[in-house]
Amino acid sequence: MPGTIEQGRAGFAEALAAEWTKLRTVRSAVWTLAAIAAFVVGTAVFVGATRSLQPDDTILGGSLTGASVGLLVGASFGVLVISRDYAAGTIGATLMACPRRGVVLAAKATVTAAVMFAVALAACFLAYRVGTVMLPDDYAQGTPMPALLGVAACFSVTGVLGLAAGTVLRHPAGAITTMVAVLLLPSLIGPLLGGWERWVAGASPVAALQKLAQSSDAAPDTVGSLGAWPSLWLVCGYALAALAGAGLLFGRRDA
Amino acid sequence: MIEASGLTKRYGHNLAVDGLSFQVRPGRVTGFLGPNGAGKSTTMRLILGLDAPTGGGVTVNGRSYRELPAPLWEVGALLDARAVHGGRTAHDHLLWLARSNRIPHRRVGEVLELVGLAQAAARRIRGFSLGMAQRLGIAAALLGDPGVLIFDEPVNGLDTEGIRWIRELMRRLAAEGRTVLVSSHLMSEMELTADQLLVIGQGRLLADTAMQDLIERNSQAATLVRSPQGERLRELLEGQGARLQPDRQGRWRVLGPDAAAIGELAAEHGIALAELTPRRSSLEEVYVQMTDTRVEYRAQRPTPDRPLATTSKLGG
Repeated sequence: MPGTIEQGRAGFAEALAAEWTKLRTVRSAVWTLAAIAAFVVGTAVFVGATRSLQPDDTILGGSLTGASVGLLVGASFGVLVISRDYAAGTIGATLMACPRRGVVLAAKATVTAAVMFAVALAACFLAYRVGTVMLPDDYAQGTPMPALLGVAACFSVTGVLGLAAGTVLRHPAGAITTMVAVLLLPSLIGPLLGGWERWVAGASPVAALQKLAQSSDAAPDTVGSLGAWPSLWLVCGYALAALAGAGLLFGRRDA
Repeated sequence: MIEASGLTKRYGHNLAVDGLSFQVRPGRVTGFLGPNGAGKSTTMRLILGLDAPTGGGVTVNGRSYRELPAPLWEVGALLDARAVHGGRTAHDHLLWLARSNRIPHRRVGEVLELVGLAQAAARRIRGFSLGMAQRLGIAAALLGDPGVLIFDEPVNGLDTEGIRWIRELMRRLAAEGRTVLVSSHLMSEMELTADQLLVIGQGRLLADTAMQDLIERNSQAATLVRSPQGERLRELLEGQGARLQPDRQGRWRVLGPDAAAIGELAAEHGIALAELTPRRSSLEEVYVQMTDTRVEYRAQRPTPDRPLATTSKLGG
């Protein structure tokens, strides 16, 4: 018998539940998250064992050495949240289930940001604990709170940027390449831009992360002179703008 | 109920769908026919809000698809059975779809049971045969128990048993009062399944008619005749203005007089008849006639020196 539509709903909460279910039922997504955690913690163990950090580094910064590379994996995670749908063809089923595309993209962004935040926070906290135990006391400790929350937020932002890139480009390879460029280029070309440097070099989530981690890598001449938290707010702003732009395109384009 | 009015879709310079207006009504199976590239799949994508029309519009249950509050409760569609993530299990694929429209979890098990995939629920879709993937696609379409069902080439890749199963399912769904729109390139299949036919060619509507009407109106009546005195009968019939063609089984295909007239003529002249069979054109013949001028890819048409291998497959 034809169903009674009163019971059904396909709003934000349902889209969120669907996207979460999609994510946890695909092994590659789970493995990507495990890879981020393993790399961040593994690097902390390596740094702790070899004491391979600058004399002016903090224990927090040294422990989070792997986080910058972890961000690259986080970006791929965000890209795959949507390009997996394009590659498999499930974008059709996704939009048939919820034809309001802004809602779909918002749900994907929320799931991406939340998952990135939770995994990164756990991994970075563990890495910091490892560093604290393994590294000698002659390094400055660094201030873990609220810096670790900011570092985890950098992963969320990066994931959302990846989602925006994946939405615009659809194919994973192109979107991931773009994200690598977005993450690495600002600190390379920033110093060439004079007064604009703080807005460009600071625009990279990697820069924001290094500043938050109080790493010796966070020198103003490479990552811009904008402060740690302002850098985070700046990349948040950029990421939301990118997501909004991707949303406009997503809403107008044929699936 | 699906209603299109002036539905138009242009991709660059290519007019894929050109001013289509039609209604697909509940309670019967509506077949959607057209040669390759005629715009069937595009039309379905427009109905489902996946692509936006360049002009005109289409509604499902009186609303455009994008305005349906919980689409899977109203419309179920199978466009491409392979458009699934191979790494998910059949159960998980249906689970996320159920979650997306607040469909109770128990429906997942029910539809898997219904399509005969209950045993394969925990298997990854990657390992499915095309037939199993088609069944999963149908399970997904039925998940929200919708009143409108849209299937694009559902019997593709199915074995005989699978084809019969789909045919019966379509008929049952229509009998339950649902609206069923199904495209297929298998003419014989449409003839057995559909009550109503939408025929399109180059994006335009060629016919919107009951299956039986279409065949009756467009078919040439012919009679198959076999006789031990075939040559004599041929002379007599041709004398009366009938046209005769021999067929491979040694019969004459007689165009002109009907079976009764042929029988009388034979009796008058004492000619014994071994067979006398009135024959209507099949849907396939009518369809070929109709789309003859519309076929985009003429290279696919049979020619005397290069016959088409399988004439029943005109592409979809």
